[in-house]
Amino acid sequence: MNLLKCEYLKTRRRYIFITALAITAFAGIWAFYGNYSGDIKDFVIQNGYLLFLYQFPLMNAIFFPLLCIIIASRLCDIEHKGKNLKLICTLTEKSKIFDAKLIYGISIVIFCVILLWCATLIFGKIIGFAGKIPINLYLLYLLFTIIPTTAIYVFQYSLSMIFQNQAISFFVGILGEFIGLFSMFLPQFPLFRKSILWGYYGALQFVGLFGYTKETRYDAAYMEVMDIDWTAFIVLIVAMTVIYIIGKKIFCKKEL
Amino acid sequence: MNRVVQTKGLTKKYKNFYSVQNLNISVREGNIYGFLGPNGAGKSTTLKMLLGLVQPTEGEIEIFGKYFTTKNRIEILKQIGSLIEMPSYYGHLTAKENLKIYTTILDLSQKNIDEVLKIVRLDGQHNKKVSAYSLGMKQRLGIASALLSFPKLLILDEPTNGLDPAGIQEMRELIRSLPQKYGMTVIVSSHLLSEIDQIVNDIGIIANGKMMFQGTLNNLHQKDTNKTLEEIFLDLTGKETSL
Repeated sequence: MNLLKCEYLKTRRRYIFITALAITAFAGIWAFYGNYSGDIKDFVIQNGYLLFLYQFPLMNAIFFPLLCIIIASRLCDIEHKGKNLKLICTLTEKSKIFDAKLIYGISIVIFCVILLWCATLIFGKIIGFAGKIPINLYLLYLLFTIIPTTAIYVFQYSLSMIFQNQAISFFVGILGEFIGLFSMFLPQFPLFRKSILWGYYGALQFVGLFGYTKETRYDAAYMEVMDIDWTAFIVLIVAMTVIYIIGKKIFCKKEL
Repeated sequence: MNRVVQTKGLTKKYKNFYSVQNLNISVREGNIYGFLGPNGAGKSTTLKMLLGLVQPTEGEIEIFGKYFTTKNRIEILKQIGSLIEMPSYYGHLTAKENLKIYTTILDLSQKNIDEVLKIVRLDGQHNKKVSAYSLGMKQRLGIASALLSFPKLLILDEPTNGLDPAGIQEMRELIRSLPQKYGMTVIVSSHLLSEIDQIVNDIGIIANGKMMFQGTLNNLHQKDTNKTLEEIFLDLTGKETSL
């Protein structure tokens, strides 16, 4: 607990929380700023809650990896800049420092994920989507957003802790994000999605839009809940655990 | 007199290069031990090994009579304060906020913060962001961080780096006062003998990773009474000048 408190003390005047909220707010505004009129209006009102579950993984794949890059980098940079690891690693175990900082960063990121999730539900109510909120599906969606985001955060954080130069973690993160986004437009290659952490927002997507054509548009379109890829979910958790173990080991072995 | 630090055959090898080779250091309790050597001699690597920041390739370290291992590292380090190479600080925080982080980790009283700020004479500047401090002030904050737990052993790696002559003098006086006032043992490294010869009891001279001399200043002088201490130091380290 002391180390977590220290992480809070260290981030004073770094505006990390405000930065996280700003990115989340921007994601929300972009997502909710849609054209909900004309021939799509009826479709949206009738299928709104499922439509969000279909649309939001794409938004998440854009904004949450970016949030992870920024939060991890901001939290780790304060240690590298002031050469602080040399001092704090003589005060307590390196592994504890690694874990405390990781937990602190993850809690900020997860808070933002939950915030956007709540905003989604509130927005649905405001627009007046038909039917009740499919809460079970939304809880699943929350889980399938938190786990890929946490996995990406663990990866970004490990890079930011190991390398002093934050450009490395930024470059790798942005590259991963682009590949992840690209993979979302290639559902016919599921293995490609599952081969990178950033592709799991798409791999774990479980609501699909069917019957949409350019000619008929939404006249014959319908939303459907698909099978959930639990294998992908387990693979992701294993990958996250492995990244955590490797990242921590490298950090603890690193000479300062 | 008890030995606070003792190393046996301490060695650090990077690929084919020995940064430190077969070093036997012996530091007596309550003394100020000057660890001298030119730049790149292996001083910082040695001090980092004493703090567990660098793993020795070979050799043993005994601190406070206990073998220093990865298991008891933190337990031993709780009694050691250190300033290695450059002072560590969070530039966006004030001196007080910086020290609060360290007291929180060590579970120390907040009173210690005011006390150490007074010792290093930063008590009037504690509300200023550290990024706005001069190098000398940052150095003093580094000393304050090292003193925070009033440790039994203080390890200072070139604490006068970047200080002006007045700052160097002030730092000397502060270091000199620590064993008497707080019963501390101090290891202070420098690449200039003239900088610390007035405050140390014992010295160790290192060059190219090897210990060239260890003993009192008198012992060093007796090596060649026709030469000054600085000349003997330069002979031992093989440098034409250390200035």
